[in-house]
Amino acid sequence: MPLLPAISTQDNSANRRGRWIGRLPYFVLALFLATIALLVWMTREYDAEEQQTSLITDVLWMEQNLRFQLDRNEALLQQVGLDLLRADRPSSQTEAQLRQLMSQDRGIVRVLWLDQHGRLKGALPPQTDSGLVGEADGTVPAESVMKLARAVGRPVYGPAYPVVGGKFNFEVHVPTWSDDAFLGVVVAVYSLSDLVVRELPWWFSERYRVAVLDPDGKEIAAKSKIAPLATYRSYTTPFEPPGHGLTLQITAYKGETRWMPVLLIASIVLFGVIIVWSVWQLRRQLARRQAAEQALRHESAFRKAMEDSVITGLRARDREGRITHVNPAFCRMTGFSAEELVGATPPMPYWDLDQLEHTLEVHDMVMRGGTPTDGLEVSLRRKNGERFDALIFEAPLIDPEGRHSGWMGSVLDITEQKRAMELARQQDERLQATSRLVTMGEMASTLAHELNQPLAAISSYNTGCINRLDAGQVDPSELRGVHEKIGRQARRAGEIIRRVHDFVRRAEPKREALDLNNVIRDAVGLIEADARKRQMRISSQLTPDLPALTADPVMIEQILVNLIRNGMDAMVATPAARREITISTRLLGNTLETRVCDHGSGIDAATVERLFEPFFTTKSEGMGMGLNICRSIAELHHGRLTFEPNPTGGTIFILTLPTERP
Amino acid sequence: MSPACAHIIDDDEAIRDALQWQFRTRGVECTLWPGAEAFLAAWQADWRGCIVLDIRMEGMSGLECFDALIERHCALPVIFITGHGDVPMAVGALKKGAFDFIEKPFNDNELIERVQRAIDHDAEHRRAEADRGTVEARLATLTAREREVMELILEGKYNKVIADQLSISMRTVEAHRSRVFDKMQVRSAVELAQILTTLRS
Repeated sequence: MPLLPAISTQDNSANRRGRWIGRLPYFVLALFLATIALLVWMTREYDAEEQQTSLITDVLWMEQNLRFQLDRNEALLQQVGLDLLRADRPSSQTEAQLRQLMSQDRGIVRVLWLDQHGRLKGALPPQTDSGLVGEADGTVPAESVMKLARAVGRPVYGPAYPVVGGKFNFEVHVPTWSDDAFLGVVVAVYSLSDLVVRELPWWFSERYRVAVLDPDGKEIAAKSKIAPLATYRSYTTPFEPPGHGLTLQITAYKGETRWMPVLLIASIVLFGVIIVWSVWQLRRQLARRQAAEQALRHESAFRKAMEDSVITGLRARDREGRITHVNPAFCRMTGFSAEELVGATPPMPYWDLDQLEHTLEVHDMVMRGGTPTDGLEVSLRRKNGERFDALIFEAPLIDPEGRHSGWMGSVLDITEQKRAMELARQQDERLQATSRLVTMGEMASTLAHELNQPLAAISSYNTGCINRLDAGQVDPSELRGVHEKIGRQARRAGEIIRRVHDFVRRAEPKREALDLNNVIRDAVGLIEADARKRQMRISSQLTPDLPALTADPVMIEQILVNLIRNGMDAMVATPAARREITISTRLLGNTLETRVCDHGSGIDAATVERLFEPFFTTKSEGMGMGLNICRSIAELHHGRLTFEPNPTGGTIFILTLPTERP
Repeated sequence: MSPACAHIIDDDEAIRDALQWQFRTRGVECTLWPGAEAFLAAWQADWRGCIVLDIRMEGMSGLECFDALIERHCALPVIFITGHGDVPMAVGALKKGAFDFIEKPFNDNELIERVQRAIDHDAEHRRAEADRGTVEARLATLTAREREVMELILEGKYNKVIADQLSISMRTVEAHRSRVFDKMQVRSAVELAQILTTLRS
């Protein structure tokens, strides 16, 4: 059947597709994970960007705020400058304004005012010791700055300088003009730290750390002493004014953790892991299934090869009797192709038309409950019309659900076997007949001699009588005696003839009541002459009044003759004094036992095994049929033929026959 | 010397009885033996007549009995009685020197005639035997020289040749010759040759 190659091509394409399908999830999974990662990254980027933007906005706002503060202070200082420098003593209003300047948290720690020559005119808080001014370089208020301010005519900021307490200050010089006359400058001293600390609103300092760095990058003032956990995000912008290389560094504190995205990402990662794991599991499962499939395919191919190689025909049928499968041997046997047979329903094309009804009966029986364990014999027909005998064994087919789905039958072609058996049987019969003939031939020779004896005697008596008559010496009494003797010899001859007749007559086994002892006597009578010739004695120990036996006397006699002859043949080498065969009978329950004992050579172990085999013989001219036939006859009469060694040497053959037929 | 009679050896009593009856009607003396063993036990060398021997017998068979008789130099002629199947055996016996054989059952007086012939043959044989004894006795009277001369005469040689061969004179040869003829009671060389031929056969 060309099913196998088709499966393999399908397999190949299925395999290829299966491989693609198997790989697709991995590609998609990788893409998916990459996309998710990208998305997460982008979200974070966006977030960061947003934070950066808000930082910048905040920074700009702060810068703006500072500048605005400084500008406002400048304007106020300009305003009070006129008043301060014109009058020797500042008016109370100006003083109030000054106090306001300093009281409000504007980062100004001191205000000084100088005349056009740079001499200190006054300060608030009042300066008691000029040495304290310009704590670092002693040039405060710095003359260069004042000059610059006077030169440019607008406020100028001086560089930052350290003061006591690790703090840094810087000052702003605001030139004051009165009708084009330079009056002097008002100097406001800013505490850098105060400016930064005080000027920034709480929400700003909460989010950012603000630090002022000198041109060397050293931190000289900071809004919080606490350093951020890491340089999370920072922005640096020049601090202008006051300028002079100062920079403002704004560092965002780590913002509050945004739980939502974290959770989302976490769950995405978790699900991703689960997906990977499940895909991996799926892959393993698939691999296992593929392995199982492969194994199944191997097994299936193996079974198929097995099925194709057997010479036993196999055919499966469903429960309706429709053929669902046949193997090549069955096709060969019947001559039909698989296509013709599969799907066929009773009556099948290979049924014997002459025995359709019987076959259908058998079929129905099988459908009901299978075949007996030793098979069913039916007669079938090949496609070419030839009949053949088949032996059928059926076994139920059980499907995976455990349901009985049909029958699997093996069909053996036993035509040859039967023919051989028939031949063997015929041969056996012929051999049996031949054996009988051979026995008969030997017997005939013996009987010829036996018969010659009385005939020779009669002839001599007769010649004597004629002699007497010829001589005319007739003595009636003498002649009478002689004639009586002649008569006796004639009867003796007749008796021999009768026995021969009884023995030779070949008839179907007769069932007649007979006396076993008589049969034995007859058998002994037949063989006695031969025994005498061979200097052997036959003695009988017969139990009297045995119950009658229902059997064929000729057959039983044949067994006995055969056994006695075998015994005699076995005693050829026995000393003449011991050449005796003893035949005894006795009753054992319902069976009659006849024992034939000889004092012969006995039976060796090798012979024991094969004694009853046809064609096995120890005699140079034997056919090996005698004991075989004897046993057959015994079994025909429901009896048994066995043997055992004779305790006094030789063998005992035991024939048991039932007295009553069951 | 016992009178001539037929010794019938057969294990079948009926056969023995029938033969005895038949022989009596022809006036032939017979002795019955139920078996070879009994006969051999009783056998005497001077018995005359013949033996009728059955080949198939219980105990010792006829052929075995015959062999025993040959061994004992029994001169009695033996007639075998055979069954149909025993003819080859009987022929073998004939070659060994048996007188005759006859198949059972017998035709009329065939057996008895053969028996009579056998008895006659035996008688003849006895006579010849007796003659031989006479010649042997005469030969015994010859001297060594006379015997030498007689042998040469029997070879058909002339007196002269004999004289040369034995280195004696013609006259001496002639004297020996006449003494040999006297002692052997013959008249010629031919007669001498005849009686010696019977002896040497």
